[in-house]
Amino acid sequence: MGEPTRAEYHAELRAIEERALEGLDLAVHAIDRALEAVRSQDAGLAREVVEGDDELDARYLEAHERLLTLIAREAPVAGDLRLISALLHVIKSMERMGDQCVNVAKMIPIAGSEPPADERLLQNVGAMGLQVRSQMDQAKRAFAGRDLDLARDLVRQDDIVDALNRECFRIAIEIGDEPDRREWATAMILVARALERIGDNAVDVGEQAAYVVTGQFREFDDASHPGAPGAAG
Amino acid sequence: MPKIQIEESVRSEPPLTRPADPAAQAAEPSAPAAPADELERPAKTVTARNVSLFYGDFQAVADVTMTIESNKVTALIGASGCGKTTFLRSLNRMHELTPGARVEGEIAIDGQDIYAPEVDPVQVRRVVGMVFQAPNPFPTMSIYENVAAGLTLNARRMRKADKDEVVERSLRGAHLWDEVKDRLDKPASGLSGGQQQRLCIARAIAVEPEILLMDEPCSALDPVATLAIEDLIRELKRRYTIVIVTHNMQQAARASDVTAFFNVGAAGEPGRLVEVGPTERIFTSPSEQATEDYVSGRFG
Repeated sequence: MGEPTRAEYHAELRAIEERALEGLDLAVHAIDRALEAVRSQDAGLAREVVEGDDELDARYLEAHERLLTLIAREAPVAGDLRLISALLHVIKSMERMGDQCVNVAKMIPIAGSEPPADERLLQNVGAMGLQVRSQMDQAKRAFAGRDLDLARDLVRQDDIVDALNRECFRIAIEIGDEPDRREWATAMILVARALERIGDNAVDVGEQAAYVVTGQFREFDDASHPGAPGAAG
Repeated sequence: MPKIQIEESVRSEPPLTRPADPAAQAAEPSAPAAPADELERPAKTVTARNVSLFYGDFQAVADVTMTIESNKVTALIGASGCGKTTFLRSLNRMHELTPGARVEGEIAIDGQDIYAPEVDPVQVRRVVGMVFQAPNPFPTMSIYENVAAGLTLNARRMRKADKDEVVERSLRGAHLWDEVKDRLDKPASGLSGGQQQRLCIARAIAVEPEILLMDEPCSALDPVATLAIEDLIRELKRRYTIVIVTHNMQQAARASDVTAFFNVGAAGEPGRLVEVGPTERIFTSPSEQATEDYVSGRFG
């Protein structure tokens, strides 16, 4: 083999990956603020989360365009092709995470400034939020480090989120007949649902990390085919 | 060693061994090799076992073992000097035409060793046709005569009507018929580069080989002519086993079913087969780092 070639192309690919992973950081920032808005029932902060999603959308569009340009101009193959394919998924997951943070934030005005909050449900939603935030961070580290074990561990982490989500639902059902409390609990169910989806998006990012490393394109865990080849754990 | 068996109902074909009486064979009337509407036909498999190739003392290729599957397009890729063209030329015994060249190991077509003492190299080249880098039609011959030249050189005495049929079928098979049917008697030199290369393919398939070797067949052609040849290659594999040497990796990705990557470890060392596998795997998840580096253009 001779001297390294196509330096500009590979530098651009590295730069796009950096921008995409920074996008995951933006999503983590968004969930931090959305969770704070839930905890403090702060409608102003919730509005900032909604407005801040524009930055994530712009990041998604920018990365998407740059990736398509690389495909069109450089005809990537092998590891480069896998990385570009994976990044297209990762930026979509990032954009969806941002949208779910918006969904969380939009529930705050519905809940009102002084809602009839149930402390147990609020704690449960808060625990879910922290768990999901941790998964987002783990997904980013797994992708950046091409760490297969860390990526696969996301499925185990996501089981915790799913269990908390079911618990939220159970608490909400038992919240009583008072209309305001029921409306608030319903809003919290939707918050929990949005958080649960973010957890799934984090698993998706982990799956793409695994694809880059192994070349095997498959879901870690298929709910319709538990125990199928490629299922984690 | 079993001889290559061809179903007589499909086509008549000379064996690889030298005929006992060439004159007698040449006098036999020869029917058109295959019906014109026969689009698909099982072709033959080539197996190379521990093949090493030499030019005098210099070893160009070391220890290649691979199977070239029938009715598939196998692309040989690798940097210049990796031995891919030398290996290609060993598949129809053209390598030995270079003074001092020799072959070790075994190359077999459907199990028959083409380097066995009783095998006639001319017959091998009849079964294993070749298309070269630059289109090389006979410039003073007409288009018709260029296609029929292969038949003539194979000492076939055919009726004019049969010959017409073979020429038409071959030109159709090479996607050239519609462009030249009204000027078959015109010199081949009047054709464009892409047309000339398709004419050479028509000439190669006129004798109904089993295997077609193509040595960078598009390197002298423009992009449109290149894509036309690639379309043709995809169609030809329905009747022939195809091996193509190409420096154009996107061409290998587009046109081949199987890709074999050859590489030279260091200057002066022989070329080796690094990896062979389905093209989609070689271009998405190659097993070897050297393959990854080469196909993704990390090293020139």
